Amino acid sequence: MATTIATLTLSSGDITSYGVSASQSTTLTNQGNDTGMTKTTGLTRIITAAVDNVVVINTGDTSGNYGAAALGAANTINKGKIFIQNLNDRGDGTKYVTILMQAVVIGRLYGGDFAYFPFEGGAGNDVEITPSSTTETTLEYVAFYE
Amino acid sequence: MATTTASFSLSSSDILSNAISLSKSSSLNYHGTTATGLTQYKSGKVHVYVTGGSFDLIPALASEEASSINSYVYICNKNTTAANYVTISIYNEVIGKLYAGDFMFIPWEQNDPAGDNGSDNDIEVEAFVGGPQAIEWMMFTESTATILDASGD
Repeated sequence: MATTIATLTLSSGDITSYGVSASQSTTLTNQGNDTGMTKTTGLTRIITAAVDNVVVINTGDTSGNYGAAALGAANTINKGKIFIQNLNDRGDGTKYVTILMQAVVIGRLYGGDFAYFPFEGGAGNDVEITPSSTTETTLEYVAFYE
Repeated sequence: MATTTASFSLSSSDILSNAISLSKSSSLNYHGTTATGLTQYKSGKVHVYVTGGSFDLIPALASEEASSINSYVYICNKNTTAANYVTISIYNEVIGKLYAGDFMFIPWEQNDPAGDNGSDNDIEVEAFVGGPQAIEWMMFTESTATILDASGD
């Protein structure tokens, strides 16, 4: 097993009269136990000019082709976690990347934004992105999975 | 405007031959700006019981179902029993499972994919195995409308 730790801190001194501060740290474990996850895509950078859906994590792939983060077949997924960030400039807000879970929109990553969330294995659970612009978009992600 | 910062780090010394260590910090601003911070915020803590059904954890804002403004959402399962988990869903699509101690931080688009001004982008939670499970959440939004559902009475 491996030990991988994710930590998030949210803080604001003025969004309420008393501020907001929250911090959570967790070890990435397999489902239902305390055994650390042992598989990862490693940190990956992609540059795309597509405005169609791009599959970032192919959770149901059974082809044995593990390129481009296709994590299926012998690597059948029970669950995973992904960190993804948009490295572009924030600009005027017209350029962003929509994150989808298969066909369902989660939200938009504008330049400088990031997200960290769990995903499920099996067909129909692909993590996808749709850039809003044909100009190049640069993203980085790393996924950990069981 | 307010200044809210989200800081994230990931580290592992043994999942690869070379260590992974990354960190990211981002200010929660209106889209298209680098200096105008979000000003509206909601949070809560609920105990979710195993009932065989899901519950609306963070309902989509009625005022924003026809728009595509961004919000940021943090959800954490504060349970301490490793086998216990909840699923988090949007529009009937399971995003993933949060086991004890797990958390997520996502941008959240609250517009209405079905075009009927329904509650299609509600963030829902369902508990499995054990419970009740304490779920804490925060939502920061760039909405410039009242972020409350209209009273029906």
